[in-house]
Amino acid sequence: MDAPAISTRALTRTFGSLVAVQDMNLDVAPGQFFGFLGPNGAGKSTTIKMLTGLLAPTSGSISILGIDLAADPIEIKRQIGVVPEGMALFGRLTGAEYLNFVGRMYGLDRVTAAQRAAELLDFMQLDDQPKTLVTDYSHGMQKKLALAAAVIHGPRILFLDEPFEGVDAIASGTLKSMLQRMIARGATIFLTSHVLEIVERLCSHVAIINRGRLVAQGSLEELRAGVAAQSQAALASADPSLANAEQPLVPGEKLTLEQIFLRIVGGSRTVDQELSWLG
Amino acid sequence: MARLTSAQTRGQLAAITALRWQLFLHSLRSLGGRLEMVSRIFSFAGFGIMGFGGAVGAGFGAWAFVSQGRAEQIAFLVWPILLFWQLFPVMASAFSENVDFSNLLRLPLSFRSYALVRIVFGASNPSTLVGALWLLGLVVGVSIARPMLFPLAFLTCVLFALFNLFLSRAIFSWVERWLATRRAREILGVVFLLFVISLQFIGPLANHFSGARRFPLEHILLQVLPFERLLPPGIVAASLARAAEGQVVLTLGALLILAAWTLAALWLLIVRLAAQYSGENLSEASARPFASVARKSGVEIGWNLPLLPGRVAAMLEKEFHYLSRSGPVLFTLVMPVVVLLIFRFTPARSGHDESFLLRAPDFAFPVGAAYAVLILTNILYNAFGADGGGVQLFFLLPVRFREILVAKNIAYAFLLAIEMCLVWIGTALIFRPPAPGVTVATLAGVLFAYLVNAAAGNLMSLVSPKKFDTAVLGRQRLPTTTVLASLAIQAAVVGLGALVFLLSLHWANLWTAALLLLALAAFAFIGYLYSLRAADRIAFSRREALLTALTRA
Repeated sequence: MDAPAISTRALTRTFGSLVAVQDMNLDVAPGQFFGFLGPNGAGKSTTIKMLTGLLAPTSGSISILGIDLAADPIEIKRQIGVVPEGMALFGRLTGAEYLNFVGRMYGLDRVTAAQRAAELLDFMQLDDQPKTLVTDYSHGMQKKLALAAAVIHGPRILFLDEPFEGVDAIASGTLKSMLQRMIARGATIFLTSHVLEIVERLCSHVAIINRGRLVAQGSLEELRAGVAAQSQAALASADPSLANAEQPLVPGEKLTLEQIFLRIVGGSRTVDQELSWLG
Repeated sequence: MARLTSAQTRGQLAAITALRWQLFLHSLRSLGGRLEMVSRIFSFAGFGIMGFGGAVGAGFGAWAFVSQGRAEQIAFLVWPILLFWQLFPVMASAFSENVDFSNLLRLPLSFRSYALVRIVFGASNPSTLVGALWLLGLVVGVSIARPMLFPLAFLTCVLFALFNLFLSRAIFSWVERWLATRRAREILGVVFLLFVISLQFIGPLANHFSGARRFPLEHILLQVLPFERLLPPGIVAASLARAAEGQVVLTLGALLILAAWTLAALWLLIVRLAAQYSGENLSEASARPFASVARKSGVEIGWNLPLLPGRVAAMLEKEFHYLSRSGPVLFTLVMPVVVLLIFRFTPARSGHDESFLLRAPDFAFPVGAAYAVLILTNILYNAFGADGGGVQLFFLLPVRFREILVAKNIAYAFLLAIEMCLVWIGTALIFRPPAPGVTVATLAGVLFAYLVNAAAGNLMSLVSPKKFDTAVLGRQRLPTTTVLASLAIQAAVVGLGALVFLLSLHWANLWTAALLLLALAAFAFIGYLYSLRAADRIAFSRREALLTALTRA
């Protein structure tokens, strides 16, 4: 059996007295398109930073493709591609120079790096401004360039932190088709996004983090079944704490990811919580 | 929305003050922030000494001029105060903090409050402190000489201080407007650098030509003098002189002109602030040209550098792309030669017709070389500053930090090698070709100095990083901690180098100096290797602080 693509055990990260991520046990199998969801401040970015080596865990372990991240970070970095929150771009290079540079830093030879850079620029529709510096790119163009850089070496795992934020509909379609092709070829993708419709359409598996704790993990069907079972239990029980003010499920109703998410993190607000002073 | 009441306005100003205080307190949470604080205390102590020393000088000068009935000559004291107040924040940006208050514009702040915040917080820099102390000294000096003049001296100096305050803020605001686009920043950066360089030549050339009785300096000064009396420093002096002579009407007239100057400076500032307040957008995006013609993607095969591993070569190529697009950094390449030219025209002491380096041309190459090492300090001691948010990539790539630093150090060494060639050629043309012994000893010294600075710079780059823009003049500000550390290291290196040169002069053999400096370079190389070995560990342990410092906007 293959080692999990991503595995964490008791992963914890604190900032002073704030516990950002607590005792996280996460498993992502190879080939999964994995959506990592959570409300703002839940610990998504902290987790992805720890998984990619940008942040040290306070305790716990991370294993990528069966390799301990702390023991051999360089080997892991060869196997993964990352689009981090800040995009990690060099503003005073052109897009071509940047991709060429990243390719060679990943160990590609000069010719291969140049060929792939040209292909990626063409694919991402960034090849019409060869002299423009990255600093003068729009936000969406920078996002596409960051994604191109993350895949130039053909990573086995791709980590994407909000990849669709600020990207227009055309570019978004291009990115989605590219990611789906990567999955078809056996890569693993781990992404965070607040756009639940996109996650629902793309991802086969989802994990939800809330206040630093992993509160749900599995395929979309497994999450639906879990929420349905919880709803049934709430109906059958007299304990009002189990029925968390959500509408009971209609038999046969198929929940959307947004509904699952809101039921799990308890994100719905009752009418009497509205701000009465707001005009 | 209804107009803000004065209580609301006061509340807003109090909130902004509290915000600045909170930001300051939060900055002390990190080690780098605390070190920066200690460094700032030291630098402000230095400015305090400078301020008090200058105040004593200004006071004594003012006392002497007024006592001797030459109050008009107080202008000689006031002009340096004006020049310092206006030029220091631009020339020494490392010690000035330019806070971006544009975020305040989204709040319902009245224009008066916005302007007040911009002026008050913008003025909290060393030039205001030092300038105000010097003016205070001047008031005290005038008052001791003629106690009756105290109210007028005080009022005049307060007006003059306000004029300086408004003018310096106005200059910053207008420069900010002109430098709104990257291209404009680069072009004006180079123009400004040319201006600063040309200023260096005024003194030497004036000395040179006045000695030869060809340059009509006195004639020009006499022509300029009437106009000088209409400018604020001249008016300050005229106001005090007329008051000392008891001419009330002329004194009041001078005061009115000074007030008019102050209002004019305030108007210049208000025009800018009003534009900002009304939502002026100076972002890069609005000025970006639209590329309408699709061209090929511009991908070229990377450099082939046979002696270097592929990653180091790629990193080196990236560094050269960055350096080649950094106008101000490239322009500083010519500065050592400019310094030699200045030395060529500047007499070392009065009474000598020839400059120091003309009398001792063997020192020309070492002086130029030392200056070349000095100007590399900014990029050596903050090697990741220009990378900004791109530094994240270094933590994501399968590469060790020592490889990255080696590539950066090689790139800077290449720059230094070009500098050495320019300085050697400059020395040969301006003075005479350096002797072989001088050349070899100097190059050995440069090697030693570079290795020491590279070793220290690598560590400081990881310990105390700061984001900067190599393309814009004045945006290469180092953290104060790094400035002080690098000054200490430069002093040690120059001291050791001077000691070795003195020993070789004592033994009358420059080749001995070369050997001694090469031996020192060997020790420095060991330190350099240690810095590389430590780099991975430090980068790993300080990655969060490094990323925070370099990725913040």
